[in-house]
Amino acid sequence: MVSITVNGKQREVQSAADTPLLYVLRNELEVSSPQFGCGLAQCGACSVLLDGKEVRSCVTPLSMAAGKEVTTVEGLPARWAKQKDLPAAQADKTLHPVQAAWIEEQTPLCGFCQSGMMIKATELLEKTAKPTDAEIKAAFTTSGPSAHLCRCGSYAAILEAVRHASVLMAKASST
Amino acid sequence: MNPVIETIDIHGAELNRRGFLASGGALVVGLGLLPAGAQAAASNTTLNPAALSSWIEIGADNTVLIRTGKSDFGQGTIYTAYRQIVAEELDLPFEAITTVVSADTDRTPDGGGTFGFLGDVNGTGMPNLRKVAAYARQALLELAAQRLSVAKDQLSVADGVVSGGGKHISYGELVKDQNLKLTIPVKGQINGFMGLAVDGNPPMKPVASYKIIGQSFKNSAVVSKVTAKELWVTNVRLPGMLHARMVHPATLGSTLVSVGQVDKAKFPNAQVIVKANLVGVVAPDEWQAIQAARQVAAATKWSDWKGLPGQAKLFSHLRQEADWKSAAVSKGEANKGSVAPVMTGAAKKLSASYELPYMKHAPIGPTMALADVRPDGTVMVHTHTQNAQQLRAQIALMLGITPDKVVVRTYAGAGHYGRSNGGNAGGEDEAVILSKEMGRPVRVQWMRADDLQWSTQSPAAYSDIQIGLDAGGKIAAYSADHYMPAMQDDRPIGAVLAGLPTMPAPGDKNAPPSQNTLYDEWVYDTVLNMEERGHSTWQIGQRNSPLAAGLRDHAMRTPGQYQQNFPREAAISEAAVLAGADPIQFRIDHAKEARLKHILERLREESGWESRPAASSNGEPLRGRGVSVMLRSGTYWACACRIAVMPATGVIAVEKVTVVVDPGIVVNPLQLKRQVEGGTMMGVSEALYEEVAFDESGVTSRDWQSYPILKMGDMPEVKVVLVHRPEVGSYGGGSEAANALAAPAIAAAFHDATGKPVRRLPLRPAYVKELLTA
Repeated sequence: MVSITVNGKQREVQSAADTPLLYVLRNELEVSSPQFGCGLAQCGACSVLLDGKEVRSCVTPLSMAAGKEVTTVEGLPARWAKQKDLPAAQADKTLHPVQAAWIEEQTPLCGFCQSGMMIKATELLEKTAKPTDAEIKAAFTTSGPSAHLCRCGSYAAILEAVRHASVLMAKASST
Repeated sequence: MNPVIETIDIHGAELNRRGFLASGGALVVGLGLLPAGAQAAASNTTLNPAALSSWIEIGADNTVLIRTGKSDFGQGTIYTAYRQIVAEELDLPFEAITTVVSADTDRTPDGGGTFGFLGDVNGTGMPNLRKVAAYARQALLELAAQRLSVAKDQLSVADGVVSGGGKHISYGELVKDQNLKLTIPVKGQINGFMGLAVDGNPPMKPVASYKIIGQSFKNSAVVSKVTAKELWVTNVRLPGMLHARMVHPATLGSTLVSVGQVDKAKFPNAQVIVKANLVGVVAPDEWQAIQAARQVAAATKWSDWKGLPGQAKLFSHLRQEADWKSAAVSKGEANKGSVAPVMTGAAKKLSASYELPYMKHAPIGPTMALADVRPDGTVMVHTHTQNAQQLRAQIALMLGITPDKVVVRTYAGAGHYGRSNGGNAGGEDEAVILSKEMGRPVRVQWMRADDLQWSTQSPAAYSDIQIGLDAGGKIAAYSADHYMPAMQDDRPIGAVLAGLPTMPAPGDKNAPPSQNTLYDEWVYDTVLNMEERGHSTWQIGQRNSPLAAGLRDHAMRTPGQYQQNFPREAAISEAAVLAGADPIQFRIDHAKEARLKHILERLREESGWESRPAASSNGEPLRGRGVSVMLRSGTYWACACRIAVMPATGVIAVEKVTVVVDPGIVVNPLQLKRQVEGGTMMGVSEALYEEVAFDESGVTSRDWQSYPILKMGDMPEVKVVLVHRPEVGSYGGGSEAANALAAPAIAAAFHDATGKPVRRLPLRPAYVKELLTA
């Protein structure tokens, strides 16, 4: 039995320790936002935050997540509420600024890659509050084990949504 | 059911009132009045013919539900434009349409493929729901006239409230406590490629009074996807379900010699299933299924096969060995004049051949399906398909059962750009075969390599083009011969491997290949002498593969037209260089259609184009610009690309792409802009990187390194300019063609930058260096 924290809740997991985290999340814990894209850490569709760092859950064995904190898109609102000390009633109604920007900019096309894209954006904005376009492009292209791929070609919409999320986060911090 | 107590004719549709209800009430707009043939087809293909699904249901609470046989592949149309079109015709607020049901064979009325959302593929701008809503509006006005005792032509509607003679009543009040059914005429076949089409001509709302169409409403599916509330096909689970992974043959022509056994010590719950050349491994646990399948694959022996020419010899094979004589030659509808003598007498002449590689749909999520074959012989398939009714028919054919025993449910999934527009994307049939064997629901998930190596692909093609210029530098004659192996192989590959019945290949051992249609609509109307011919051959390897597999081809975004527009537009740009003319002005000078001339003029302004003849730049990087145009499904497109070529590395940076789009009526500007941006990125990806690698045995592209696509760091700046022309009166196709514009414009930009014409794609660095030193 392995113990991991997923979206703020401690979970005891039955899966074999070598099982990639992706299958543990999707099949055992019913956390389904990370998607299977390649199983090779080449596309980013399965990205999650592991202690705040974006990793590819398709090649991350459960054992490597033991005792650590996993955040998926399901947990982004709570992560934001905690970072901002929002009262519980408000937290329930809040989206993470990355999600709000993704909706406002109508970023997803088919949307299959966008869970990973939002996870990458969250990692970036937690470290770099006001990234330049070059920093945004680098985050999605060269910063991880591979570029985050979008076959529908939503890259311009992602760039605009990250800029938008950065503004929303700055506004939230100034109030 | 209550007897019909009243029947009213509504412009050829039939409004029936069946008694009254204690509560609720609705107007249900369904299909009917089918011609004899279609009636039979419809009753054969629904689980319960008495409960044919409706298109629109208007409830007593003023909410509206709409249904469509098409699914969403990221276009968003069914959640945005369809709501807007229905709301507009009915004069309802957009938000009144609370529910959209799509592409479930037992819950949607019309079938048809997920393409041509806003009309048919000929760009008539008449989606089924537009006419359905128009009929429904007339029925509601009829009901209101009765209730208010006001003549129908004295009534008006705003926000779902009918007013006239100083009285008013909402749609909800009109249908409250009533059991109303409007039956509207249709034609076609529900499980045909195009599905059913609404017939007749109900009066339409005048375009000039549109209020809802033209606004940038948001897509409800975007919200559910961004907040992790969407039920993706990948999330569907059934009790007792097994996970499966396929062990596909070693080559595209290998037959099974001996199957490997599961190592039960390591994988006690895994099991191998074999049916002819179909091998699958199932287990209750997904990770165990994956590992066991790998172990079984390593121990399974297949016969050898080398029936493909290999990538390096592709075009010499196509030119010298392929049989182009067995298929009928297509001739262009616009062919005219006498090309040969004028070409011979031309002042200047361009003769060029253009080559395009095989490309992959390459969805970010490999295909998957969950099937449940029940003890009573009924089958449920949960998947992500562009044509649920055709998939249903394919599964029925494979199992030798009637389609009424099969239900296909469609969920959100990874876009795959045309691969399943004729039914299957891969895996659905395999899930059904394995579920039948196991007597339990089985979920087949293809791995990345399966998806690249065992799916269909966009066919390779080459074209020979000649352009003769007169002494004034105008096109006197144009001739094009387009060569492409047969496309649209909709045989489910699992059924093929298992030796089960399928529809025929597009040309098999005994039948000639399907024709190469002339897909690219001709737009240079001033040219007096022109001819285009389309030539087809069998799919490579199909006839000599013991599996009848080989390189299976299929429609992919802008199918066929991509393969024909690239050579045409690249050649037109080369002809402009030969004529010493500006490529935008050269196109304007050969056009008659005002819409085409207008978008080219807009392109010149919006892209900051400087008019000059082609001039290769100096220094490093080498910069150039190029242009392309297309007419598809009633929409005019023009595109300009600015690129930088780095001679030392062979790398091309596409710096800026400007796209001007005139679809007639723009239904939703924001959604259209996002579609065009996305398609443009895909087009840049195809131009710079995409080519299926294959050897003599099969596809060797097996991951994102061996089939690279565009990354964000290499994206161009994209400027989208929408031209709204309400006077056109129809909605043109708005997203599909967007991937086809960049490649010919980039090729022309390369010629502009370097003085070297580009006649082959993709423009990967090694090929660029080769071009520069040629």
